[in-house]
Amino acid sequence: MLGLIDVNIHLLIQNIVNGVLLGLVYALIALGLSLMFGVMGIINFAHGDFLMIAMYFSYVLALALGIEGVLTSFITVPLFVVIGVAWFYTLINRVLKADPLIQIAMTVGILMFLRNIALAIWKAEPRGLPYSALLKSITIGGITISLSRLIIAIISLAVFFALHLFLTRTKLGIAIRATAEDTETAALMGINVKLIYALTTGLSLGLVALAAALILTFTRVDPMIGTVYGLISWCIVAMAGLGTIKGIIFSGLIIGLVEALGMSLISPGARELFIYLTFILILWVRPRGLFGVR
Amino acid sequence: MIGVSRESIIKALSTRNLIIIITVAFGILPVLLGFNRYYVYLATQVVIFTSMVLAWNIIGGYAGQLDLAAAAYMGLGGAITGLLLCYYHLTPWIGMIVGALAAVGLAVAIGYPTFRYGLREVWYALSTISLVLILQRIYWLIYGTTEEYISEYIPYRWSVLYLRFDRYEPYYYLGVAILLVTLWVNITIRRSKLGYYLRAISEDEDAAEALGIDVRRYKLYALMIYAAIVGLVGGLYITTTGIITYRLFDPDYSLSVAVAGIIGGLGSIPGALIAGVILKTVEEYLRATFGAVILGLHLMIYGILLVAVSVSKPEGLAAIFTYIEKKLLKKGSG
Amino acid sequence: MDPLLKVVKVTKRFGGIVAVNKMDMDVYEGEIVGLIGPNGAGKTTLFNCITGFYKPNEGKVYFKGEDITGLPPHVICMKGIARTWQKVKPFVKMTALEAVTVGALLKYKDISKAEEVAREMLEFIGLKKINVPGRELTLIEHKFVDLARALATKPTLLLTDEVAAGLRPFEIERLIDVIKRIRDDLKITLVVVEHVMRFVMKISDRIIVMHQGSKIAEGTPEEVANDPKVIEAYLGIKAI
Repeated sequence: MLGLIDVNIHLLIQNIVNGVLLGLVYALIALGLSLMFGVMGIINFAHGDFLMIAMYFSYVLALALGIEGVLTSFITVPLFVVIGVAWFYTLINRVLKADPLIQIAMTVGILMFLRNIALAIWKAEPRGLPYSALLKSITIGGITISLSRLIIAIISLAVFFALHLFLTRTKLGIAIRATAEDTETAALMGINVKLIYALTTGLSLGLVALAAALILTFTRVDPMIGTVYGLISWCIVAMAGLGTIKGIIFSGLIIGLVEALGMSLISPGARELFIYLTFILILWVRPRGLFGVR
Repeated sequence: MIGVSRESIIKALSTRNLIIIITVAFGILPVLLGFNRYYVYLATQVVIFTSMVLAWNIIGGYAGQLDLAAAAYMGLGGAITGLLLCYYHLTPWIGMIVGALAAVGLAVAIGYPTFRYGLREVWYALSTISLVLILQRIYWLIYGTTEEYISEYIPYRWSVLYLRFDRYEPYYYLGVAILLVTLWVNITIRRSKLGYYLRAISEDEDAAEALGIDVRRYKLYALMIYAAIVGLVGGLYITTTGIITYRLFDPDYSLSVAVAGIIGGLGSIPGALIAGVILKTVEEYLRATFGAVILGLHLMIYGILLVAVSVSKPEGLAAIFTYIEKKLLKKGSG
Repeated sequence: MDPLLKVVKVTKRFGGIVAVNKMDMDVYEGEIVGLIGPNGAGKTTLFNCITGFYKPNEGKVYFKGEDITGLPPHVICMKGIARTWQKVKPFVKMTALEAVTVGALLKYKDISKAEEVAREMLEFIGLKKINVPGRELTLIEHKFVDLARALATKPTLLLTDEVAAGLRPFEIERLIDVIKRIRDDLKITLVVVEHVMRFVMKISDRIIVMHQGSKIAEGTPEEVANDPKVIEAYLGIKAI
């Protein structure tokens, strides 16, 4: 009898650990979205699909250059920062003052384009990196932890910390926060709001590219994954509210834990259903954020 | 002389006459297509799609809610109609009604809490995306990836009772009938209290509340009407394709409907009609021509179109009609 | 005579801030009551508590003797209280005629009848451009549409929120005339929340002054203008 209980607690801890590692990655993915929404109020439905495209970029680069997936970020991150800035000046700039439905429509258009161009180029089968030096597991006290996930979780934490420092200690970061807080006053104080917006978009996509390079280590990519990651990110933003990195991290952890625990309790087929039901419940119960400052 | 002819143009374009023109145009289409089997099938799909766009106009155009759950209601209506037909040999004439009612039930079940918790804009859109995926998953859990073929259960080659025909013309005309009804519903709503209230809601919900409008209730009405039509059309759809699978619940289809509604111009009946017809026709052409080589080409183009419209001309095709209207009215009074 | 609107000890808090603090207010039928106070006095918050957009934390609001505290805004409108908006909330795609018809539909179910009532209201207000989309109207035209919309719901009580803000002197004169006719011809009681002194002093029968969430003075415009407490509240210094 005792043995049974022992196994169950074991399983529980294993799930919690998995959930935490998963949640940190989700939080990293959602970070860029939170920035764009929080600073500019832009509703980006294509967030998940940018992640998908970035993953394909990393996939192609990793195979072509024969390097570890994570290392492709050195190329993809600056690339996506530039793409973000360009995207702002060409398209976002023109819908800043438009009806939210129109803003969403623009990003949905981008979503459809990205998804189907990926489908045309790489077809529907999932692609993954065939080899990674990090695909090992370590076992501590009976709990198995995938090394890649652990390293990525640590990198995520480092990124959160770095971003926090950036937003609180650097001039540009403070300018970004000021613009998010009160655009008019920021403009009056000499902050070039349009430039801030452009840089925020760039930063947002840069973070997405980084996350993409990281998760490619243990996940495969197909043209359709944008939906799930987009929904997860929006749910995290919904729960976290605006204005805090901590909120994003906590919300990410909650989602990660819900998924990990749900996975073990329910059959794998029902897992996605469980996630989507949780999404709707979160949207109903807390559309204004659990942790947000604003 | 010129004034007279402009006035007569305006009179000629009255709603009643336009509807007659549309009816006749759709009515003789199969003749124009030479009763070609494939083209009539395409025309049927175009008519079905356009009905959904017109229905979407009620929730998206009038009420201003970005609803991306059309596939949920259509899939539900279609699945119920199809499965009742296969397993219980229930005539689709009744099955479609049941499907529509089920869609309304779903709309109320989802809409009531959604509107009660004040989900707007992005949050509303997200909840509708989730809805499609939830239904898809539930169907998949119950039936897996099995494909039910209606032809296996209903062996007749020509049955009005079971809506089985070996030509597509009957389906086409049934689709046209539903399209005309949907058109009529749209026009009636626009000139009714519901229509005025919905437009006020889409402009500014707070101002609408302060004018005595129960915003939640009216949004729900719009959602129910839209879901009923889409559910009904889903039933017709399933009888034309004859296959019931979880792929009925296709998020891309929802997106296409909303895209057409937006490109047509939110709240514009002619815009929705024309956008639906053109986009679906182009889509089917692209699918037939390039489908094997470039998957999803039509969706790529939809995406580009949507970006272009939202960035430069958010009023969509409706801008053209407003322009024409202005030109006609201006000179007439001047 | 019982007051038409009775506000009893209404309190509204936002987090740690008390925006409205045990506020009392009586409004009698047929009067025009001006509600003034320096910025942050809580006027708009009280306004929203009465019209149902906020739920008071404490206190009650009575209208025609009935407890309407915390009812949703559309129900309050149905009961006979209409409002205008400080930040004008125009219907930009609908024409003025359509916008006011929306208001009229509350009491007149038939579209043609409602449209007729809408035309009457727009004529009463004096707006000519009734068939152009809202986005082509100027600020004062928007304010007039806002008023006409609210009046079309046939209210007993009309609350206006800083309706004179941003208007030029001749426009304010026109507004004064309209407000007076609302009271005299349409027999509607008015509570006017205002910042523009010239306007509110001229039209109010009685003025209530709010400061930091509570009532600090009440009386005729002359009495209130000379009240040392009021002067102190506005200027922040004691009157000599």
